Amino acid sequence: MTSSNNHTTLDKATDPTGRLVLQPNGRPRPMSPHLQVWRWHVTMTASILFRVTIGAASVGAAMIVGVLAALASGPEAYAGLLGFMASPLGVLIAFGLTVVLFSFLLNGARHLINDTGQGLTPKAADMLSNIAVWGPVPLAILFFIGLFATGRVSL
Amino acid sequence: MSGTVQHKNGVRVSQRHGAGEWKLEKMLLAALMPLGLWVAVSAFSLTGADYAETAAWFTSKLNAGLAILTLIVFFGFSALAWKVIIEDYIHKPGTKALLIGLANLVFLALTAASVFFIVRLALGSAPLPAGIGA
Repeated sequence: MTSSNNHTTLDKATDPTGRLVLQPNGRPRPMSPHLQVWRWHVTMTASILFRVTIGAASVGAAMIVGVLAALASGPEAYAGLLGFMASPLGVLIAFGLTVVLFSFLLNGARHLINDTGQGLTPKAADMLSNIAVWGPVPLAILFFIGLFATGRVSL
Repeated sequence: MSGTVQHKNGVRVSQRHGAGEWKLEKMLLAALMPLGLWVAVSAFSLTGADYAETAAWFTSKLNAGLAILTLIVFFGFSALAWKVIIEDYIHKPGTKALLIGLANLVFLALTAASVFFIVRLALGSAPLPAGIGA
């Protein structure tokens, strides 16, 4: 038997949002907020990506220290490193680190703006998150177009 | 509870470290915004440069100073950020303290190493391992 308060099935008509579950007693209730049932949202992605970015930036900074070590070890050591950096794999790593750098700047700026209590309406938060999530890729591509155009990198 | 409850402007003052750590993390992140842009500009200009050009770049006091500042601020920020990440996912007190201590140690070593290398480059010191072996 079905009534408006006591469904035995959930379909488009009774649950247009698709976010309800049937309790053992047959009553529809919202799903509990667990990682596997959260609806994807760009603000969540931006937040997760900032943690990923900090992790990647830590690795990148450690690599910079490695470059400094090679530089401080003289011309032969540095020439070996330059040879690797000019290889396709080296350029790929450099491109990845460029994405990480721009991601750190854009997502860090988003975080700082939100930390002051600004940009937290759904519209503003979505816009800032979209910039932080997608912005780094075109910026890194532009950066590398500039590097190739000025002859600093060639393959 | 030990200690007396204090108020400042009608707001209770924290009896522990309060928001100090959070504020420091935010100040370091704010400092990294202009420094990060400077890193992007520097990386662009140094790409494709050979050893002599790169070594000459580091003999500028401004470049060497900003490089040291950027790495100190970044590794300081990283240490705080990794502390927060570890605290979020590791709940066993001993393991948590060990991992935070380990992360701090790694970032301290990286900071010390980067300052050491940049100072040597800025002073135009002989290539490492100077005086060791040959």
